Amino acid sequence: MNRSIKVALAGNPNVGKTTLLNHAAKTNLKVGNWAGVTVEKKEGFVNHKGYDLHFVDLPGIYTLEPISDDEWVAYNFITEEKPDVIVDVIETTNAERDLLLTTELLEFERPMVLAFNMSDEARRLGIEVDRRQVAELLEVGMVRTNGRNGDGVEELLDAIVDSAESNRTPKNVRYNEQIEESLGRIRAKGRDGGLAKRSLLRALAGDGEEKARLERFYKKDINSIIKDERYAFAHGFYNETFRKRKGYNRDITDKIDKIALHPIMGFFIFLLVMFLLFKISFDFSTPFMNWTEGFMNDFISPLALSLLSKVGAGDWLPRFFSQAIIGGVGFVITFVPLIGMIYFLIALLEMSGYMPRIAFIMDRFMHKLGLHGKGMIPLLLGFGCNVPAVMATRTLENKRDKLLVMAMIPFMSCPARLVVFSFFAVMFFVHPAVVIFSLYMLGIVIGLLTAFFLRKTTQRGKLSHFVMELPPYRVPRLRTVLQIAWVQVKSFLYRAGTVIFAASVVIWLLLNTPPNLKSQSDSAAAYIGKAITPVLSPIGIKDWRVSTSLIPAFLAREIVLSSMGTIYSVDVQKTDATFSLLPAAREQAEKLGEAAKESFLSILTPGINTLRADDGEQGLRDVIRSSFTPASALSFMIFLLLYTSCLATVAVMAREGGKKFALLFLAYSFVMAWGVAFIVYQVGSLI
Amino acid sequence: MTLFGERPVRGGKPEQAKAHDAKPGAGKRTIRDLKVGEVAHIIEFLDENEALKKIEAMGLRRGRKITIMQKLGRGIVVKTSNSRIVLTTDVARDIEVK
Repeated sequence: MNRSIKVALAGNPNVGKTTLLNHAAKTNLKVGNWAGVTVEKKEGFVNHKGYDLHFVDLPGIYTLEPISDDEWVAYNFITEEKPDVIVDVIETTNAERDLLLTTELLEFERPMVLAFNMSDEARRLGIEVDRRQVAELLEVGMVRTNGRNGDGVEELLDAIVDSAESNRTPKNVRYNEQIEESLGRIRAKGRDGGLAKRSLLRALAGDGEEKARLERFYKKDINSIIKDERYAFAHGFYNETFRKRKGYNRDITDKIDKIALHPIMGFFIFLLVMFLLFKISFDFSTPFMNWTEGFMNDFISPLALSLLSKVGAGDWLPRFFSQAIIGGVGFVITFVPLIGMIYFLIALLEMSGYMPRIAFIMDRFMHKLGLHGKGMIPLLLGFGCNVPAVMATRTLENKRDKLLVMAMIPFMSCPARLVVFSFFAVMFFVHPAVVIFSLYMLGIVIGLLTAFFLRKTTQRGKLSHFVMELPPYRVPRLRTVLQIAWVQVKSFLYRAGTVIFAASVVIWLLLNTPPNLKSQSDSAAAYIGKAITPVLSPIGIKDWRVSTSLIPAFLAREIVLSSMGTIYSVDVQKTDATFSLLPAAREQAEKLGEAAKESFLSILTPGINTLRADDGEQGLRDVIRSSFTPASALSFMIFLLLYTSCLATVAVMAREGGKKFALLFLAYSFVMAWGVAFIVYQVGSLI
Repeated sequence: MTLFGERPVRGGKPEQAKAHDAKPGAGKRTIRDLKVGEVAHIIEFLDENEALKKIEAMGLRRGRKITIMQKLGRGIVVKTSNSRIVLTTDVARDIEVK
């Protein structure tokens, strides 16, 4: 059996720990260019030279004095789980800062490897590490790595195996003579002589006699003495191993920041970036969504039905197929291009380094509302998906800030909601883009009101300071961005194949219970829907087919569409055209080409083009349209926007903020959603 | 203010720091008093708390040369070597500079 080596990946935030692990273990873990992407320890496994390397990727920390929750995760792992090898990832261009943590890690006296990452950026800035000097001073493994292309990762694995095999501990970190003498006496006092330097220092701080002697000598308290010694060691080590050649300074970050962080221009750039995000998402994906819909209805569906009739399937199988599979699951799948494009653009934004800058620009407003500027990052992530956004609140140092931001996140509209909006807004409104934009704004306003309300009641207290790092801008690698987007699309497709499929099957079965019904409105599904309609009819949802669809939507919002698709498919008129495979396939290929052309062309025009009012197309849309008025469609969308109908979000809120908090919030969001939808519907119906 | 937000630096005459909450550092020149584009050296931390410890670990240490890149509301962007750090004025006033 292979020997297993437990490896901790430690280092300052945003130095590329996760990126290195993705290269080494071929994992697809989430990466980004800002401090605090990884907030939970993540794992990766590599088989190298007959060893099983078990990597644990830790959240970034600046020092082993944790404050926020994510820092505690890293701290606890390093101090309690005793990894066989510690890999300290260092951002070569910021090594002077990073070496403080290195010094603290060296004090554990465990086998260690230093990975000097971002070697490409260091080369551009003329920064060099003296490899031999590092090895001589510390007796640790040392490699140069480049997370962008994976250079040096093989060597890193070699160095880890080598360190573990030899069980070589770093050469003693030596501090000032006075301290070393005291440590010597502490060591002599100790029952077991094998204490690591870190433990000795802790014992020293607790030893009245030695502590008093040192404090007298240095004229400062023991914690400052130890801290300053660590800084001095890190600084000395840096000076002996690093060279900076003059004349290299091709950093564009400062130039971009002059505009991007400008008090006035910065704000407009932020608005422009947000506008482009939406415009490109819609304009690029709509032609493809139309194509996917056509492909499902004009190709997959007739193909499958003609195959089913050839093998002589009975009556129910084709019906099940066109209602539950095409009508339900297929309906949701048509939105994959939109989901994919949004995630692609968000990943692009996250990899560029712009994210934390938004926090800086928006702090002006956030601060006035009593919110933390750093809270902006989880809120922005909420537009991608609420679940990781709630996780990201771990980087906030203050419990109060954390809960406030957490209570706002579910009101940030995610792509699952956008899918529903884009479907309904196009059907009922002349300017769908305006409607969707207003819904997003409504979510933000309700979020702010919630925070305001909480701050006046249970979460009082002074606004805490905020400290945050701004990473350099980096040109994102297309491959990485595609990988991040693909992980999200895959999880959407996975949901379509599992929970959405299951919900569609259950709805279909309920629709056909009891068997051989004359009318759907006598089915079990109708019975359930009608039972909750009294609750929903004040907000304009009076049709049992819509109420029934809302129940499974608690699992995930997009299920409301698949359920409606399943239910309403029954009423779609079938045209019995003959289907022949080859011409149909050729037609689909041609249409795909046209869709691609249209996508690229519409990106180049100003304004949002594709979101135009729908011009009465036949099929599912037409049938669903009959159940709504514009007022009830709007109230339906508002209800779905505000009510936390997403099991995953409730679960992660319970984990991060407590069960009570999550359940109270769930009830609150339901009341809020119902209330706002009620007002909008009642007022809308008058107009 | 010029086009790209660099407020002209008035050299030579350091502005008197405003007294705040009768803190021990009142009267000393701190990061809060610096203007956009100004360069200074950190000489002392005027208080001891978690935030300052973290800032120190993030690279703003005694003796370091810093440049003020931008100020906006209560936020200040400080650059030292290759890192840029955002601080708020309530911590910036605890870092004395020269």
